[in-house]
Amino acid sequence: MRDKTMESTTFRPERTEDTGLSGAIDKILDKGLVINADITIDVAGVELLGIKIRAALASFETAAKYGLEFPSGTNLETAGWREAMIEKEECPQCGKRVDREELLNFACPWCGWESAKAKKRKVRAKVGVQ
Amino acid sequence: MVILRPEETGLKELLDRILDKGVAVDASVRVNLVGVDLLGINARTILSSFKTAAKIGLDFPEGTNLNTPAWQDLITKQPCPVCGMESRPKDLKEEGCPWCGWNYRPDER
Repeated sequence: MRDKTMESTTFRPERTEDTGLSGAIDKILDKGLVINADITIDVAGVELLGIKIRAALASFETAAKYGLEFPSGTNLETAGWREAMIEKEECPQCGKRVDREELLNFACPWCGWESAKAKKRKVRAKVGVQ
Repeated sequence: MVILRPEETGLKELLDRILDKGVAVDASVRVNLVGVDLLGINARTILSSFKTAAKIGLDFPEGTNLNTPAWQDLITKQPCPVCGMESRPKDLKEEGCPWCGWNYRPDER
């Protein structure tokens, strides 16, 4: 016998906003962080030490997108890197990161959310058929 | 279904705003003893997101390829005022937001 409650329950993927520390770290690594510093230390009027820092902090995906240099010996020809180079966007409904072009022009492959552009295209296609 | 930009509060939103605006710390410390300069420290530090850094022309580490398409998008793309998703300003103005359908001039259509 099938459970009635199971039938009436449809699972709709929903985006949950993570506002805690993990959400913050996620966002920073996704956007990338630049830390630049010029520090000089002089003793008795003589410049003793100078430090110049040009640092960029980002997730692998963001680093690859913005052409940051990777440590020598990193193989950038793997499937993972090619995947990282595809421009992605978070689905506004379920929050999954999917191919931006697919999400914008067709629908989210995970939850089926459609953008205004995709809906417009559908309407236009219907009118064209008739 | 219109998806509105989620109002974020808390740490994530705070850091997001701080890095979008950029933080500049310029400190100079002088220590002198009996009128004689003993120690001086000058520290000029800037902290910002990639987007802000690209906009204000910060130096990136050596070897960074600044010609990838992502850099171009970073400077030109604008967020939609309703849903917050980014798109090209030309599309946003002429066709409306491709994500949520928000329209710049709804009366003229």
